Amino acid sequence: MPTITYAEAIKQALVEEMRRDPSVILYGEDVANFGGIFRITAGLKDMFGDERVFDTPISENALVGGGVGAALTGLRPIVELQFADFLFTAGDEVVLKAGMWRYGHGGAYRIPLVVRCPSGATATGPEHGQCPEAFFMHAPGLKIVSPSNPADAKGLLKSAIRDDNPVLYFEHKLLYATRGEVPEGEDFMVPLGKASIAREGDDLTLVAISAMVPKALKVAERLAGEGHSVEVIDPRSLVPFDRETIIESVKKTGKIVVAEESYKTLGVGAEIGAMLMENALEYLDRPLRRVAIPDVPIPTAAVLEAFVIPNEEKIYQACRELLS
Amino acid sequence: MDNKLKLDIYRKMLLSRRLEERIAELIKAGQVGGFMHAGVGQEALQCAAIATMRPDDYLLYAHRGVAYWVARGIPIEKILCDLAGKEGGTNRGKGGVMRVVYPKLGVLGESGTLGGCFPIAAGAGISIKVKGEDKVVLCFFGDGTSNRGTFHEAVNLSAVRKLPVVFICENNGWAVSMPTERSTAVKDISARAAGYNIPGKTVDGNDPEAVYAAVKEAVDRARKGLGPSLVECKTYRLWGHWVGDPENYRSREEVQKHWRRDPLPRFERKLLDEKVLTDESRAEFEAEARATIDKAVEFMRSQPFPKPETALEDVFSESTAG
Repeated sequence: MPTITYAEAIKQALVEEMRRDPSVILYGEDVANFGGIFRITAGLKDMFGDERVFDTPISENALVGGGVGAALTGLRPIVELQFADFLFTAGDEVVLKAGMWRYGHGGAYRIPLVVRCPSGATATGPEHGQCPEAFFMHAPGLKIVSPSNPADAKGLLKSAIRDDNPVLYFEHKLLYATRGEVPEGEDFMVPLGKASIAREGDDLTLVAISAMVPKALKVAERLAGEGHSVEVIDPRSLVPFDRETIIESVKKTGKIVVAEESYKTLGVGAEIGAMLMENALEYLDRPLRRVAIPDVPIPTAAVLEAFVIPNEEKIYQACRELLS
Repeated sequence: MDNKLKLDIYRKMLLSRRLEERIAELIKAGQVGGFMHAGVGQEALQCAAIATMRPDDYLLYAHRGVAYWVARGIPIEKILCDLAGKEGGTNRGKGGVMRVVYPKLGVLGESGTLGGCFPIAAGAGISIKVKGEDKVVLCFFGDGTSNRGTFHEAVNLSAVRKLPVVFICENNGWAVSMPTERSTAVKDISARAAGYNIPGKTVDGNDPEAVYAAVKEAVDRARKGLGPSLVECKTYRLWGHWVGDPENYRSREEVQKHWRRDPLPRFERKLLDEKVLTDESRAEFEAEARATIDKAVEFMRSQPFPKPETALEDVFSESTAG
């Protein structure tokens, strides 16, 4: 199985799906001639022509709302936002149009739309560094995926493109250069709504999202050296959410830490905590611990950013606390 | 415009007017719980513009009135069921009368937030262009809505990509209680077309023939792949913003003045003068409209409310591209 980067895996999924289905189109700011500000779409315009791959003005509302309109009329558009933060710029179109058009019209239409959202803190500050998945988990009608490795990046994107619903696809900028084995061929898919157990263990459940997964795996390795067996769960999809895999793990371990790059209040960890309160309280030996951004905007200077973004040490300390 | 088309537009204007009058009665009598933004006074432009469409074109209507749906041929009993939140309509109680939808005639639905229509219209235009079709999109909006940022984004995008969208502004002078001259820096919305380097034209929105000619020109242009246009139809909102609006923000004299320009009797007089319409045929159309509406109201009354648990349906489609 070839080893490729996360960025290459995303591109592979785009190319395979655009070859497979002429109704798939891709547009956004600087995606065609320049190849995308993160170079994901370089060469696609030459492969598929400038009707199916095109540059747009700086107009996030029109990009996402246009995606809804194109999806209503038979295409499967992929809209690239330059930064996940720009979902807020297009807030009406994301939440009220993509998320609610089908429902508000009694199911008359399907909306097969993918919005690609480069996420994650890279010393670019409050408006270019967020992982805003949790904001949109609250909004009905949107599917949400956050792959943590190249294989999932490819498989989940292919599933998202073939899904008949709007999917927000969060690609973490710090993962673009990470490498991993990725199956070839257009049949390789990763289903939406199925968590992956990234490492099996018995003593503690560590749920990690997106770029937190590689950090969580390192923490698990370190704790293994100290005699603790940690199970690392990567939800992969946040909507739909695979509750069962987490509940089953907690039944075994009785302890859970959630590591995420969202703000702590009403973040993914808060939802997982509430879900466990409703479904698995009797299995929890210790209170849930959340490792998340304290409720401040993301600062720009690297030294400040590093202080607020969850790192291995913070995840390790949270786990140690429960394991002691 | 040939006589057949004139009569067709007249019939639809008349049916729309009578339907709104009946809806207002039903709402005031508490017989339906819906919410209605009446379009009384704007039927001429709505019916005439939609008469330019082919069955396979796309429509994004605005929030003012029933004439868009009547003109497009959506059965009126469905409109009434949507108003009442009942089964038998087009959206199963999910969207009310503001989200009437009809895929087989390209009626894509309505944005609850004003100005949400513009990006959707541009997106439908993208579809048409990618597939190499010669369909067009008609996108209606009010003078007030033209101040949304989405207008700028979508019209500019449509212009640079030469998308087949015709933007039709219904300038009725009022955005709820805000008169256009206080909300909008230009006198004519069509002047904004210059900012996008597209054709912009203002016509008398109460003259169906003028509207038809202007919209037809824009539709033909879009169909040929020459890009979007902006057509502004000057008209007037003869009723309040909603059924029940106290209208304490405008004078009775102003409203009375505009009732004298009501497009329905005006077009009627013209057709009578031209002998396209006779007193007998006019009476027939009135009777036909009344009978159609009576039957539709009966159908609406006979329909059940949706089962409460269906509120959980229609969030996601279960299907995939396979």
